[in-house]
Amino acid sequence: MTLEEVKAAIAFDQPKLRAARDGPNIHVGGSYLLFENGAVAKPAGPISEFDIEIVLSNRFPRHEPKVFEVGGRIPRCADRHVNPDGDCCVTVWEHWLACATDHSFAAFLNGPANEFFLGQYWFEKTGKWPFGARPHGQKGLEEAYADALGIPNRKNDIIYHLRLLSKDWPKGHWLCPCGSGKLLRHCHRDDLIALHERIPPRIAERMLRRLKSYTR
Amino acid sequence: MTKHDRKIARTHDDVFEEIAEALDVPPSKFKEAIERYESLGTWLDRDESTLSAYNPGISPQGSFLLGTVTRPLTDTEEFDVDLVCLLKASKTEFTQKSLKAAVGHEIALYVRAHKMAKPAEEGRRCWTLHYADGAQFHMDTLPALPDEQRYQAMLKRYGYTDLANDLALSGQAIAITDNTLPQYDEVTDDWPQSNPMGYAAWFRSRMTVQLAERKRAFTKAQLVTASVDEIPDYKVRTPLQRAIQLLKRHRDCIFVDDGAHKPISIIITTLSAHAYNEELTISAALHSILTRMDQYIEYRGDVAWVANPVNPAENFADNWAEEPRKRQNFYDWLEQARHDFGLYLRASRFDAVPQELIDSLGAELVDRALKAIIPAAASPLAAPAIVKAASNNDDDVRRAEAAIDERRSAGTQSKPWAKS
Ligand SMILES: [Zn+2]
Repeated sequence: MTLEEVKAAIAFDQPKLRAARDGPNIHVGGSYLLFENGAVAKPAGPISEFDIEIVLSNRFPRHEPKVFEVGGRIPRCADRHVNPDGDCCVTVWEHWLACATDHSFAAFLNGPANEFFLGQYWFEKTGKWPFGARPHGQKGLEEAYADALGIPNRKNDIIYHLRLLSKDWPKGHWLCPCGSGKLLRHCHRDDLIALHERIPPRIAERMLRRLKSYTR
Repeated sequence: MTKHDRKIARTHDDVFEEIAEALDVPPSKFKEAIERYESLGTWLDRDESTLSAYNPGISPQGSFLLGTVTRPLTDTEEFDVDLVCLLKASKTEFTQKSLKAAVGHEIALYVRAHKMAKPAEEGRRCWTLHYADGAQFHMDTLPALPDEQRYQAMLKRYGYTDLANDLALSGQAIAITDNTLPQYDEVTDDWPQSNPMGYAAWFRSRMTVQLAERKRAFTKAQLVTASVDEIPDYKVRTPLQRAIQLLKRHRDCIFVDDGAHKPISIIITTLSAHAYNEELTISAALHSILTRMDQYIEYRGDVAWVANPVNPAENFADNWAEEPRKRQNFYDWLEQARHDFGLYLRASRFDAVPQELIDSLGAELVDRALKAIIPAAASPLAAPAIVKAASNNDDDVRRAEAAIDERRSAGTQSKPWAKS
């Protein structure tokens, strides 16, 4: 991800953001314009604006970007999905990587970032999260991974799936994760191959690692 | 005009439409230009004409034909109307020089017969006809011969067989003259070539749906009984044409002090037409074009290539290699255009054009357009109050609610969380 790519992503869509290189990172700051999804322009302008800073690593989208609300508008507490340092928990990153097909910076700004700030705006007005919210900490992580895998939220099942998916190729002689007791190659082999395509080994490994960091 | 039928802007698109309309050749001038080149055509083809044996014909080319004309920056500059003067003759009958002279001779007679003040002026490829000061335009006439067979053979040689076999795109290619070439005065098959009609056909093919749509709207609005097919293209403008006019104007203003190095119109037009995807509005067209137009610049090795769509072996950006500043200027301009148009469309109300865009389209032009279609803009004191009253909190909440519903039904991508 280069500075030019970031600049191109924001130049038209988010003209009140500015991007600059900051050591190994790219720093994006300014006013984030909240719009209806897919709208180019609205007669009255954006719905709202949030003062933000985003820190992007060169390795975006593999590395999760950090998004800070810096206008003092959103209280920095878990109930508002903001960490004490101002870092917004926009989404469980691996869930987005697994479920969205376009991982460009523009897609992030128009997808999870838009939903996050639309949610914050709605919470200000109504005290409710329009798209729901994850439980905090490990529980939220498990729920998000179960969603991404499309399975019931049971920790052991999640881990077994992720271990299977961490392999370059799901092993046919492993027991099928559905619990039938059959070998994978005689059971849900095709389903797992499709899942493997959507959640490649490096994402599955990262999910495993992240889950373990909470268990420790 | 009564107050009742006055146009009142309600959207960003209404404002852009008004500005772009002001950039166009005014209808009266357009009619005048057509009458003048038709009169020249009639002259060249009159019985006593030394060219009458060759069935000479005059037809428009360039932005006049494409419907992407942009008013010059100042009133002292003139629109230029580009014409082709085609003789049904072969390259065995003329050298480039003798063709240029033969056309020049008849044009000189025309100038005298019509008591025009200034003689026609010879350029590298054209004859330029100057009209009286009030006309506000001049005509560049390009002497040419049909040359489609050699053009199609060239396309085949480069492997562009589909283009060579497409009569609309390559069947009207021409041979033109150039007085700087060594073979200018030799009888030879080796003349420079051009294909303005093929280019125009390609350009039109990039907007067929909206062109038909605009014609339908035109027949409805004008209450004419003509069928859509009978409405000439120049009566309407598509969002693509409007967007190109705005972008060319933006370019003219940005490079007011560096005109020699500004991105050329054919590059802006070609890349815009590629990026355009039959969007229904000017704002959506600008969004598509500005975010994607650079993707249509190819790199052949290290060489930036803006291919002529009807002859991909020709590079519209062929001098970027020798003059890297031109390449840089294109990318700098694109970045600024994205920012200036984005700032208006994304960050502003429709009736509050930001200073950045006013500066880069010309204050006078924007001002005049706003005054014409935003009643409050005519009295500056009233404007801020109206803006305040209109940006109503309840409206924002309603919009947010609709945006949430839309997101929910489309399937959300994320849910907020907290790390600890
Ligand atoms: Zn199974």
